[in-house]
Amino acid sequence: MSRLEAKKPSLFISDPLTKDTVSQSLSLLNRILKSCYGPAGRLKQLHNGVGGYVCITSQSSAILGRLSVSHPVLKVLTASVQNHIARFSDCGLFTAILCCSLIENFKSLHVPSCTVIKISKHLLSLCTDYLKSEACGCRVSVDFSNLKTLLCLARSILTSKPACMLNATEVDHLAMLIVKAFMFTIPCHVETKAVLGKCVTVPVKGRRVLDSTVLPGLLIETPEIQFAKLLSVKRISSDTIKIALFCVSMSGDLFNPEEGTITVHHRISLEMSELNQLLNVGKQLVNDEVGLVVCQKVIHPSLKQYLKENQVMAVDRAGLSVMEPLSQMTGSKPIASIHSFSPSCYGSLKDVCTKSFGSKHFVHLIPNDTVVCSLVLCNRNETAWDELKRACETAEHVLQLTIKEPLALLGGGCTESHLASYVRYKTCSLSTSSFKDADCSQTQYQLIADAFCRSLESVACSLSHDDEILTDMVYGHCWLVPSGFPSVSNWSDLLSKCGCGINSNTQNLNWRLLQPHFGSPTIQSCPKEPSVDAADLLTLDCFAAKYSGLQVAVETANLILDLSCIIEDQN
Amino acid sequence: MAAAACRHRGATGDGAKTFVLLLAAVLRGLRAAGGAGRALPDFERRVLEPAAALGLRRHLLSAFPGEEAEPRVDLAALEALLDAYLRGRVGPGERRRLARLCREYLGRCAARRPPALRLLGRHFEALHAAVPGLPLDGSAVLPGVVLRRDFAAYSPASGAAGAVVVTEPLHAGPSAPGVELVVGSEGQYEAARRWCEARTEAAVKRLRSSNVGLLLSSVKQQDVVIYYAKLYGVSVVECLSSEEVALVREITGVSPYSPFGDNGCSEITDTAAVTFCRPLLLGSKRYAHIGFASSACAFQPHCLVLCGPVDGVNEQHAAAVQGAFTMLQQLFKTVDGREECRSKGESQSDASDVCSRHSSATQKQLTVENIYCNSNQVSEHQLKTHRGETDTQIVDSALKGSENPAGIQTASQIPSNPASHSEELNVPCRGAGSSTDAQKPHAKCEHSGEMHKGYESDLPVDNQKNYGTAVLTTDNANTVTVCERLDVGKDLEKASCGIIPFKHEEGCVSVAQNYSSSIIEAGSVLPVGGYFEILLHYYIQYYAKQLQQSAVTVISSVVADALLIIPKSLHGTTEGNSFAKFYLKTTNALRKNQPLPVNEKGLESVYCKYQLVISVLHCVTELLSIDLIIGVKRPLQKIEDNDSDDDL
Repeated sequence: MSRLEAKKPSLFISDPLTKDTVSQSLSLLNRILKSCYGPAGRLKQLHNGVGGYVCITSQSSAILGRLSVSHPVLKVLTASVQNHIARFSDCGLFTAILCCSLIENFKSLHVPSCTVIKISKHLLSLCTDYLKSEACGCRVSVDFSNLKTLLCLARSILTSKPACMLNATEVDHLAMLIVKAFMFTIPCHVETKAVLGKCVTVPVKGRRVLDSTVLPGLLIETPEIQFAKLLSVKRISSDTIKIALFCVSMSGDLFNPEEGTITVHHRISLEMSELNQLLNVGKQLVNDEVGLVVCQKVIHPSLKQYLKENQVMAVDRAGLSVMEPLSQMTGSKPIASIHSFSPSCYGSLKDVCTKSFGSKHFVHLIPNDTVVCSLVLCNRNETAWDELKRACETAEHVLQLTIKEPLALLGGGCTESHLASYVRYKTCSLSTSSFKDADCSQTQYQLIADAFCRSLESVACSLSHDDEILTDMVYGHCWLVPSGFPSVSNWSDLLSKCGCGINSNTQNLNWRLLQPHFGSPTIQSCPKEPSVDAADLLTLDCFAAKYSGLQVAVETANLILDLSCIIEDQN
Repeated sequence: MAAAACRHRGATGDGAKTFVLLLAAVLRGLRAAGGAGRALPDFERRVLEPAAALGLRRHLLSAFPGEEAEPRVDLAALEALLDAYLRGRVGPGERRRLARLCREYLGRCAARRPPALRLLGRHFEALHAAVPGLPLDGSAVLPGVVLRRDFAAYSPASGAAGAVVVTEPLHAGPSAPGVELVVGSEGQYEAARRWCEARTEAAVKRLRSSNVGLLLSSVKQQDVVIYYAKLYGVSVVECLSSEEVALVREITGVSPYSPFGDNGCSEITDTAAVTFCRPLLLGSKRYAHIGFASSACAFQPHCLVLCGPVDGVNEQHAAAVQGAFTMLQQLFKTVDGREECRSKGESQSDASDVCSRHSSATQKQLTVENIYCNSNQVSEHQLKTHRGETDTQIVDSALKGSENPAGIQTASQIPSNPASHSEELNVPCRGAGSSTDAQKPHAKCEHSGEMHKGYESDLPVDNQKNYGTAVLTTDNANTVTVCERLDVGKDLEKASCGIIPFKHEEGCVSVAQNYSSSIIEAGSVLPVGGYFEILLHYYIQYYAKQLQQSAVTVISSVVADALLIIPKSLHGTTEGNSFAKFYLKTTNALRKNQPLPVNEKGLESVYCKYQLVISVLHCVTELLSIDLIIGVKRPLQKIEDNDSDDDL
């Protein structure tokens, strides 16, 4: 009998945002995330006091997934950012920092939340309309006939993850591999609806980063003993090997939990009968001139031996994850029956060979159509490898998102500061009807717009952790002052390039300190689009991820600001 | 109380908060009045119903475009209804967008009539998909149905073919749980297994030959089935939820296909027509997106894709949208009048005096015009005395009064200000004054001709005085004023054309003039923001006055006062005491036979509102008839049979 416990009353917290605990934890979270931001971000070591795995990272996906957040308000925020990351992989920190800053800045205004929500929605649409428009000065279009922009995108993602511990050569090498792997996954013959292939990451830890490579096709790991035995394979022609793919167990195991009792008469061995059947399968495969058999599960040793004797290579325990790419690249259908299967299920490969990386041995399946590839990723230790894997996956995802929408945003804080100066410019020349629509006074509107811009700028400012950060009054870009110089010195002597690298210090751009404080001066005209064409070493951000992250940040901030009470069930 | 409120919300999709507020206000009022709960049924029959049927209905608008034989909700009215409904349920930023999306959804599903709305309400769980992590702007309406599973097998050629629903595995081994297989020889066993697989293959082949390209399964199918499906080009979606299966069955009219049910040779005929069938990527998950050619009813299946930063927001939006479907269904219901009430209304005197007047007024154009002229005179007369600078003064002083009790005095002492008006402006200032003395003001408030006198001195000083009764006195009007009120039909329609914006375009008709046997007709709507409550408040007092019975009049004033809690709470959230302004403007308009001053685009269903009042009154009756609460230690079980008295 279950014990009856007295029901606890629900916990009621009114006006959660005015409580100290919330603002303290919110600002702590904001500080943690800000300090992670950018190439100079500080690393966070996440570990459990009891021991076990240690994670050293500066990526939002790793931090937010491991951080335990207890307050409902912060839970909403982190859940929202995590959902964004699940969808876009990139711009998680941007979304989180912007959202925290928006909440903090809006809260300090003491304007009714419904007014704040209305106006911030309006400001958001101002930004999104601008980003989508041709006139947008902080985006570049991506030319897929030229790899430069793609390399810039991949390089920007790798450099912004300092916990990968990469030097410049390694960054270049990996960026090239990522773009190469991405190119492999684009199908050569596009039908009505193109489906991208797959890049499978193969972990090799304890090796140099420069040993990483990309191979077309799949690598299936095999134990060393078997590795030595791999012999020449039966071929149809010099560049065609027939492959059969099995997704059922070929171990001869009779046990099937879904079935009922089987009563067997004396001297009848079902195992023998099953093995005979397997050998029949083997015979059929040999007759059909199959050169390679891959089984998701286990193959009976006798069958393996039989196949080997007949120059058929057998790879078993391939696992579920390789089945789909394998079927995709060979055109074979996974066979789920050992009683009857038609030759139409077979697929073809170009070649099979063996490869070894460090202590690991692989069978390398080389397809005719290279829509599937393997990225052999090496890094010195486990923690750095994990971080690198996350970064590479992010980069691959970003390239996929970019092919859907061939645009990129200027990185290095330039998009944020440019957007902020655009909003400042737009809102100071607003007609009175806009205030009436939003049902607020002009002062309220200006206050909220200013808080919005300061929040955007505070994201750009998070890029610098010690150094001073400037913005110019012409392009609205972001400039980092190298550290070690007194702040009074002439800025134009110190600056060489803006954050994204598109503008050089050729003219006096009328710099000012970019400080997210109240009442920054507005520029007199709309921030200009840089005249230079995409230079070589630009810092670029994913358009889709940042565009959506901006919206999610504002919407989440609005959602949180709209909370008037929290009722928590304590049972 | 909570259970009753939830019951009401479950039935009408709306009004749980209003229910609790109103219930509490009525109970408070009744306690202050010394309890007169027994007369509640009497009140309902003799005051509330006439007030709704004769008073309220003249102000009602219709959400149905008139010309159609089978009523359906007008598109503009739909958005106004949804907008108002969502106001209390989703954040201020998302409300408009969601209302528009919901309207588009209903429009594209062709669900503006009850059968389709009911279907939507029942199956909304399977008719929407939530995508967390995308901005709200990503929400969209997609044609067809989105099943929350990826294809286990997909062949692009399987669109434009039939689909079958199965609820059992297509493959069965030689033995099954509970079945014993006796094996006599190795060959026998092998043959049995071979036969089983051959049977599965034949089943899949048969699907293909019957032009079935899609297999929808509520259970997980074995690998063999998926293998043969891939081989023969049949797409498979497995592990469907029971809601999804129910939805597919309802919109296509197919029944589950039993693979081994018949001899296994004939062609499968009970298939659903599929227009397309493709994988869909939503967020980071893959779904099966299937278009069904609708067969059962006019309903066009569409999927509502809701995007939001977190799951909680999506759940909130989905719940709000589903509630809106329930609410919209209520729009098609009518409140029928009782036989006795109607016959009484036609023959008896007293209150029926008004009834007969009204019916004759609506039936005979001549009378209407006659009264119309009268009322015009009255209005003009009143205009001369009250309107203009006095009106603004009143409002101002009323506002002052809300902060400062002394303000009341100045307000009511404006010379030459008609007493009826000065009393009313005191109403809001007093807040929820309790009607301790219902009889006293009633006696005092006898009118003298067209002007009320002698209140300047007593009213303001007595803070305990009930504002409700004060208003009552103003309703104690002469016949001319009655006629004036009865006449609103034409007048209101004319005027409200300008106020309700969709009226011209979509032909929203005022139901004021077509009088029929029902108390509230299907499709009746009112602007949101407390108009219903103020109107009902006004007419309850008006009809209560015709009665001599004291218990009913007491209840009438209690309920009438309690109704004001709703506009008060609605206007209390905005800054200042805008309720006073609102109340004054509305009642002034009513008295002067002017159209209601509406600056509100949202609409609400009058049926829901009226039902809420009735439910509250029933709940009050129930609560008041409890005389003892007995706490028991162990949880009460639902007792099936009734002979368990000894358990106590």
